[in-house]
Amino acid sequence: MLRKIVIKLINAYKFISPLFGNKCRYYPTCSTYAIWEFENDNFIIAFFKSFLRILRCNQFFKGGIDYPVVSKKLGSVKFGEKREVNYWYIPIKKNKFIVIKVDR
Amino acid sequence: MNNKDNLRRIIIATAISFIFFFAYDFFVLQPSIKNAPIKKNETKEVKTTKSTLKQEIVATIEAKNYEVKIDELGRINSFILKQNKFNENGKHLELIPPKLPKPLEVRFENKELNKKAFSTKVSVDKSYIKLSGTKKTLTITQNLGDEVVKKTVTFYPNGRYDVKVILTKPTIYYISPGYRPNVAVDSLTIHGALIKKADGTLEIIEDGDAKVENINNAIVTAGFDRYYTTLFFSKTPFEAIVTPDDNKNPILFIKSDKNLNLIGYIGPKYVDTLRSIDSELVDVVQYGVGTFFARNLFLVLDFLYKLVGNWGVAIILLVILVRLLLFPLTFRGMVSMYKLKELAPKMKQIQERYKNDPQKLQMHMMKLYKDHNVNPLGGCLPLLLQIPIFYGIYKLLLYSIELKGAHFLWIKDLSEMDPYFILPVLMGITMYIHQKLTPTNFQDPMQEKVFKFLPVIFTIMMATFPAGLVLYWTTNNILSILQQWIINKVMEGKKLLKAKK
Repeated sequence: MLRKIVIKLINAYKFISPLFGNKCRYYPTCSTYAIWEFENDNFIIAFFKSFLRILRCNQFFKGGIDYPVVSKKLGSVKFGEKREVNYWYIPIKKNKFIVIKVDR
Repeated sequence: MNNKDNLRRIIIATAISFIFFFAYDFFVLQPSIKNAPIKKNETKEVKTTKSTLKQEIVATIEAKNYEVKIDELGRINSFILKQNKFNENGKHLELIPPKLPKPLEVRFENKELNKKAFSTKVSVDKSYIKLSGTKKTLTITQNLGDEVVKKTVTFYPNGRYDVKVILTKPTIYYISPGYRPNVAVDSLTIHGALIKKADGTLEIIEDGDAKVENINNAIVTAGFDRYYTTLFFSKTPFEAIVTPDDNKNPILFIKSDKNLNLIGYIGPKYVDTLRSIDSELVDVVQYGVGTFFARNLFLVLDFLYKLVGNWGVAIILLVILVRLLLFPLTFRGMVSMYKLKELAPKMKQIQERYKNDPQKLQMHMMKLYKDHNVNPLGGCLPLLLQIPIFYGIYKLLLYSIELKGAHFLWIKDLSEMDPYFILPVLMGITMYIHQKLTPTNFQDPMQEKVFKFLPVIFTIMMATFPAGLVLYWTTNNILSILQQWIINKVMEGKKLLKAKK
């Protein structure tokens, strides 16, 4: 519930954000990062990580490409089950994945 | 590298202090209503007794800034502010509402005694006091047979008064700082009662939420509306009582059975005046959610105001100050710009290739930046840092009596909307110019359409906001335009140099 509200708010911000010019030093941008985090991580962790990301987003840090990394246990898919793919999870360590949203 | 590490540490330290600010504000300064001990049985409601007297005035105290009238029951029946600032429709502002209790009203636990107290006239040692420069004392005595209540009240020119309550025989009684002023009450701002305990914690009881409460180690008990307050303060903790009235608004008393020494204040919530009485009283000025931040912002703004003598100019200086604080960040961005020019051909290439896919374009640009160790973008943090400041100014304009009636050029009151809509329009125009100067790329065409209308939408939205807030935003826009213009000039200069070579 809270998660949905937060994602809605971030989307609303994204909509008006061009007003302030292209500012974000990262790819994906802080707001996109936050949405991916909130959709894939525990609410509090997502909040904290997004907050840190915004703090890092200034001239004293390099910026660049920085995808969210989440801990996740992947379940199995039943045979014949059709599932919509929303995110790619790229394994980097055991149960740790880089999250990339499927580009449609 | 070491230097860079240090800088990083500074940033992190700043960030942590910000988290601390907000956490402190949220967890410590928020009203702790749940923890308050509620002993319903101990305190019966402090009942009002209908007075048989006509409440004639027995004494008048006149100071330069106010006039006080004491009635037959030894209470402050009228408190008028005489400064021009507090004139409303040609009438001086009255801070004592008709509702009971009045300041200095004493009620007794003993019913018989209470009845007697509300039907016996007091005697005063002077019927007129003119305050000029120094404090003066009035003695109010009420003889109730075997109990004599003596109130020695010392008035100060700034609205402070000291009360000494002396009883001949110990008996439980209640004395009130009075019903909260009813001058500036609206749904936008908080009003009600505030009790500060000796350990520094605050309890704020908003109108409509009051219930019977005993607070044992209170040092401040204050009733307040948006701009004005009436309060009691004492360095030695006392027992504060809250009782709800018919509308569940809090009514304040101090319960005692001994002699009492109190400091009172009735008047506008001027931070300076309250601090001059005692620094504990600064907390009486509440700004709603975000009080801690707003209070500190006020100190900065007040400092700037004392330098220049105009709140409008002070707000403009504040914008410049914030920009200066962010300048190290901006400067690094500008240096980065220089380096970037060498990458221009590659950037063009990428732009050509991913013309139709802004997502990919953004990603490949980032990769290019990272490969060459440059990044011209300002970042989200400097942008988001503006939000709490903006919010803080909004709060100040809402609650600060100092900022009420602050004039600036054609604007008569920065805490109200610009009556001629000049500032909002100016803000829209500066916003539009800034938009034109800043390069943007859009993810969808709908967004682009809305984007073009945003200055218009914001102009309409901000038209009803306090003029001071619009002033802040407008100044900020102008500085942004200036900065962008310089950046663009620098880039062009580089381009020309390259062309010549």
